Amino acid sequence: MTPRLLSLAVAAPPLAIVVWLFFLPFLSSAHLSFIRDGEWSLRNYALVWRLYKLDVLYTLGVSLLSLVLVIGIAALVCGYLRLVGHRVVEFLFKVPLFVPFVVVGHGMRVLLAPRGTLNSALAQVGLIDLGDPPSIAFTWAGIVIALVWKNLALAVLLVLGAYRAVDEAYLEAARNLGASTFRQIKDVLLPMAAPSLVVASAFMFTSMLASFSIPLMIGGGEPPQMLMVDVYYRINYQDDLGTANALGMVSYLFAMGVAGYYLRTITVRPV
Amino acid sequence: MPRPHPGTLIRATLRMAAGVFVAFIIFAPLSSLVIWSFTRKWFWPHPFPQELGLFYWRKVLEGDLFRALQSGFFIAVIVTVLTLLLTIPLAYLLARYPVPFKAAILLVFLLPHAFPQLPVFVNATTLLYRAHLAASVSGVVLIHMVGALVYAVWTMTAVFRSIPASLEEAAWNLGASRVKAFFTVAMPLATPGLIASTLLVFLYSFDEFTGTLLVGSPFVLTLPVYMYRTSVGYELQVASIAALILMVPGLLLLVVLERYLKSEYLSMFGRI
Amino acid sequence: MDVRVEGLVKRYGRVVALDGITIGFPSGGMTAILGPSGCGKTTLLRALAGFNPVDGGRIVFGAEDVTGLPPQARGTAMVFQQYALWPHMSVFDNVAYGLRLRKVPAAEVRARVEEVLHLVEIGQIAGVMQRRPGELSGGQQQRVALARALVVEPRVLLMDEPLSNLDAKVRQRLRAEVRRLQKRVGITTIYVTHDQEEALAIADTVILMNAGRVVQAGSPQDIYFRPENAFAAEFLGVSNQLAGTAEAGSLSVGAQRLPYTGPVRGSATLLFKATDATVIPDDLTTESGQALLRGTLEERLFLGSGYRHYVRIEGESVMVDGTEPVEAGPVTVRVPVEKLKIYAMASPEPVTDPARSTRTL
Repeated sequence: MTPRLLSLAVAAPPLAIVVWLFFLPFLSSAHLSFIRDGEWSLRNYALVWRLYKLDVLYTLGVSLLSLVLVIGIAALVCGYLRLVGHRVVEFLFKVPLFVPFVVVGHGMRVLLAPRGTLNSALAQVGLIDLGDPPSIAFTWAGIVIALVWKNLALAVLLVLGAYRAVDEAYLEAARNLGASTFRQIKDVLLPMAAPSLVVASAFMFTSMLASFSIPLMIGGGEPPQMLMVDVYYRINYQDDLGTANALGMVSYLFAMGVAGYYLRTITVRPV
Repeated sequence: MPRPHPGTLIRATLRMAAGVFVAFIIFAPLSSLVIWSFTRKWFWPHPFPQELGLFYWRKVLEGDLFRALQSGFFIAVIVTVLTLLLTIPLAYLLARYPVPFKAAILLVFLLPHAFPQLPVFVNATTLLYRAHLAASVSGVVLIHMVGALVYAVWTMTAVFRSIPASLEEAAWNLGASRVKAFFTVAMPLATPGLIASTLLVFLYSFDEFTGTLLVGSPFVLTLPVYMYRTSVGYELQVASIAALILMVPGLLLLVVLERYLKSEYLSMFGRI
Repeated sequence: MDVRVEGLVKRYGRVVALDGITIGFPSGGMTAILGPSGCGKTTLLRALAGFNPVDGGRIVFGAEDVTGLPPQARGTAMVFQQYALWPHMSVFDNVAYGLRLRKVPAAEVRARVEEVLHLVEIGQIAGVMQRRPGELSGGQQQRVALARALVVEPRVLLMDEPLSNLDAKVRQRLRAEVRRLQKRVGITTIYVTHDQEEALAIADTVILMNAGRVVQAGSPQDIYFRPENAFAAEFLGVSNQLAGTAEAGSLSVGAQRLPYTGPVRGSATLLFKATDATVIPDDLTTESGQALLRGTLEERLFLGSGYRHYVRIEGESVMVDGTEPVEAGPVTVRVPVEKLKIYAMASPEPVTDPARSTRTL
């Protein structure tokens, strides 16, 4: 067997699995999104427009707000960790990396529900009235908090890595001219680490948009919902593959937009 | 003894406060799980559980939770072994040789990361159903392998790329065959990275939720799906115990391996 | 073992790395392949080892054509630039690797490893053998790499810039040791380097390469004192370059004229080493056997061993070294005629007497 054939033979089985269970289903969802009652039509998309346009906006809004919070907090926290250092905090921020999404969903549910542990604790100090407990879970705020909590770990890891790659000499030059910690972050670290921040943001935005288990567990029962929850309910409760796939296509389009933006940024970046 | 500068004292206090604050943020959802798992009775609106105990721990470890843990563990082991067998040779070839269509192959293993999984897996479930593999362990193993292969191909290719080619050339040069050089030089040097990658694959499969929920239902139950069911069914004690058990492998890894794992592997863990 | 390559061609896509090289490496000798980075010298070495298949030509060891053989079957041993010592094996296991592949009995492996480590003068052999390569200094790692290559008694020893990662002092010392060791074991050795001083010091024969071709081959003295073209002269020392025009009987540099009897006509390049010239306060007396060029001394640097003068001649700045300082102002630069090399400009081929060609070895 020639080396070329050998390497293709080695590549074939894993490729087959990914093509069979990712690329074919991907194409099939594109195909089925245009099929209604056994015929080609755009009615699935019409239905998405009629029923789910608010959900699409809601999904984008929740993802964008979570992303801004995650990146903003990470940019500042990492600046502190890079310039001053705090080993305990740095370790603590890694913990959520290893906590699965479903566990985050459940944990936040128990913590933030109207009768959750947070309200119990706040009532102890007299901050809230237990007769009419506020609910954070089952609202957009619950989803945002859970997404931020889970993704902050990854953001801190990536941004801190990028900050650490910035040569100490640039920071010393700024310090030498009298720059405060905040100014060093704003004027040196952030601009120099910007490409890595774009990469991290692009990746995290798609992952938030596509998040399923967290909104499934902590989102409200009423619309609007996150897109992935809509897809799941459409299949599970209405057995409506056409509309579910049309919703899926909408999510792919956003993902492709993000990927395109990401690719443009990394190719345009000066060498 | 010189008195510390007042600024130093303030700064030390602030640092401590920052640590405590972050610890609170991080542990708030996790500690709620711990409290609930030991709760026997907790009637609203009491601030604390009325009765604590191991009642639910004892109960669940004999029942469905244990079976879900068992089958989830079994599936994760199979997924890990199969993924290693398929990926190690491929990753080595991709790292070292001009494999035909290399860019296209790498792209195939990259794209699943860039798209939402759920709608794709919905259709994959249909395909598996047609192949009579839905609601079976084999079906769940296969759907897990899609994600597992994606992680493994990229991390393992990076591992082999990080080993200088000259180390193997030195062995060939002294008369070692390619196979011999692979096993005496490349493999021993790649082992730490391959272990990290293996743990990542295991953890991915053990924690996988979306694919298992779609493909495994109703017969194959793993811990994440079991936890989801109990949580939305308001069996909060049982769900909390399941959640705590689910966190064990990941937290063990974090504590044991945090020093040794390079950040690029760590960032992979964050995507589970 | 006599090594020859004939018409060797290697391409990387559209880049020609080896452009039909034909050259011999004398048996038992130390040959240095010298050239700037990207000239093809490492490609040639890796082709000899069998790591890169070639696109044309033959490689012959003794009477055997090895062109199609894999690296395992060539019987070469290579010392790599970054040493390529296996970090997961002890020094002993590194050196013993080749012997164990050849199924040498354990007792003999031990004896031969110790012997070769002794040969490369690693010092405290018993202590060093059980350590990992990463725990050794760069110089010691280099000795281990050499021992690993020598212990299998290769037909040809290949060395790829083996000293380039060491600091200057260690490099100087190891240079002498490598040469002494090579003379002792007598293995045909091919040594790639970009450092002309190292090539001249270490080798019996120097092959100068540029752009995938052999520019000149010969003894170190030949290469240094009798460069055959502008590239060779430029590469082998701190050289000054002036543009001129040659005709029968005279050579003009700007407004100045020098007597000239050589074969070059038309645009020409004049080259001389900073150490070969002297600078004297302006005087216009002619001297036989000396080329005199007038200029202005602009700058003088103290180098410790002497002074370097920067003189502007016809708009070009040249360097002249001397032991005595000369004051700034109008000066004359004096170059012995036989040290002043004149080449036709933009001609890759040297213009020399064919009888003096050193191309055949």
